[in-house]
Amino acid sequence: MTAQGTHGDATPLLRVDDLRISVPGREGPLEVVHGLSFAVDVGRTLGIVGESGSGKSMTSLAVMSLLPPGAAASGSVRLRTQEHPGGEELLSGGTARLRALRGDRMAMVFQDPLSCLNPYYRVGVQIAEAHRAHRGSTRRQARTLAVDVLGRVGIPRPHQRVDDHPYQFSGGMRQRIMIAMALVCEPDLLIADEPTTALDVTVQAQILALLSDLQREFGTGMIYITHDLAVVSQVAEEILVLRGGHPVEHGTAEQIFSDPQQDYTRELLDAVPRIDDPVPARGGTR
Amino acid sequence: MTLYLLRRSGAGVLVLFGITLLTFVVFFALSPDPAVTICGKTCTPERIETIRGVLGLDQPFLVQYGDFLRGLFVGRSFGVGENAVQCAAPCLGFSFQTNQPVLQMIAARIPQTVTVAVGAAVLWLLVGVSGGLLGAIKRGTVWDRAAMLTALGGISLPNYFLALLLQYVLVVRLQVLPFPDSSIGLTEDPGGWFGSYLMPWAVLAFGYASLYLRLTRDTVLDTLSENYVRTGRAKGLPRGLLLRRYALRPSMVPVVTLFGMDFAGLLAGALITETVFGINGVGKLAADSITTNDQPVIMAVTLLAALLVVVGNIAVDVFYTLLDPRVRVSQ
Repeated sequence: MTAQGTHGDATPLLRVDDLRISVPGREGPLEVVHGLSFAVDVGRTLGIVGESGSGKSMTSLAVMSLLPPGAAASGSVRLRTQEHPGGEELLSGGTARLRALRGDRMAMVFQDPLSCLNPYYRVGVQIAEAHRAHRGSTRRQARTLAVDVLGRVGIPRPHQRVDDHPYQFSGGMRQRIMIAMALVCEPDLLIADEPTTALDVTVQAQILALLSDLQREFGTGMIYITHDLAVVSQVAEEILVLRGGHPVEHGTAEQIFSDPQQDYTRELLDAVPRIDDPVPARGGTR
Repeated sequence: MTLYLLRRSGAGVLVLFGITLLTFVVFFALSPDPAVTICGKTCTPERIETIRGVLGLDQPFLVQYGDFLRGLFVGRSFGVGENAVQCAAPCLGFSFQTNQPVLQMIAARIPQTVTVAVGAAVLWLLVGVSGGLLGAIKRGTVWDRAAMLTALGGISLPNYFLALLLQYVLVVRLQVLPFPDSSIGLTEDPGGWFGSYLMPWAVLAFGYASLYLRLTRDTVLDTLSENYVRTGRAKGLPRGLLLRRYALRPSMVPVVTLFGMDFAGLLAGALITETVFGINGVGKLAADSITTNDQPVIMAVTLLAALLVVVGNIAVDVFYTLLDPRVRVSQ
């Protein structure tokens, strides 16, 4: 396996160079991400792995230009778009342009689907609103589309459930709805920030399978953010390991799993329970 | 939902009964003999006795209260024989001062009070909610601080003082507004009507608007830190839509709750405003009847105020289910 078009002449879908993020601290700006570089190409998945506070979520928010107030990013984040085949810089992008790209060309799925869905609106409205805003579809068109997308992400009886509110769905179903919302405009880039962390293992497997299927169907480039190497091994071809905002290791999934170069990666790998592990002597590790 | 409404209405009726009983007790125990007041200065003990007989004031407390309730539901008559005066249900009695039927007196004044109340409510909702939203978005800027300071003033300034101040400055000194005249109808002279009610609206609305501004600002600020707002931004929604669906709509629940209560309790505010501006509404009627100890009128106004509060509370609960879909399950 070669390194996914990050080398050579072709412009990758997303190219991030020397990304640095600082947040306001007690004694001036505090740098929390120290010079990250990576690229994502069409139909490929980059897994960003790290523990809490490693800067993985800040990185994804920076790509979407959704950093919290006060936080600042420097370096370069370039997205290849129809208008700019050579990639356009997002960090210096205007508000209107960024708004036009968000939800249309790049979309995001968040960790906790209940708190990330607006409790006051029907899921159909929430799925359709991005399409209406970006493509100017009518209410009726958008609703038909919402039913269609709900069906694709595996919601049973979508023509009925489209009028339900988020609280009427289970956790796994809510995450499917989040995915439907993100995919409604068929974006080029999808960022999934711990999309399965709040779900139980069976549902987690279903969501991962769904994401892979949809990615094959639409050719979406994906950044999959997680603390769980077991999960990322199922979806990503390329992996970036972060620790304290520094890139620790970066390579293909094969390289990292078969021959980790850094102690930290080895520790992370050892933390993953394996089915062929010997049974612990005293009633489990919990 | 129907069952719920029936239960709430039943409880409301009980509350209203309680209030009539309480008001009755207060008058029976505390107030000076109305017969003496009615009789006037040149009065004989015989005449006082006659009046008491006609009004039923010589009866024991429970009989009097029973007569009042009977009048409310089936009508009653005052006095006996050919001099008896009929009073059809719902009978609220006759004013001790003017001898007019109380129901008519109130009905004649309701339009003015409704005009004052609704106009003020529209004004304070508009100013309070939009100002609060603006303050939340422009948090920490000069605009936010100016709005908050004005709101503090609005909360601290008693409205009778503000009423007099406005009247002195706008009517007496600058003469930009006419003195309010509540007899001008909307259809005859829209400009004069508007000019007449402008000050009462502003005075009544100012305090409430301040309260709603602060409430809206704080609630919107809370809402903006919700995770789903970030989802909305990640969708690249236009700013107006984002604010409406993701900030304003979720913030409306506490505002509507407060509004239901405030609007129902507005009669108390109308009392001062109407008196200061000489508007012939229910509030002024209440103030006048209290000064002259006109028991049937006070009784009726109290009942009306209580009815508004009860209905307002039920309306808020119904509105909840429209505003927050999650409430609908637990009915």
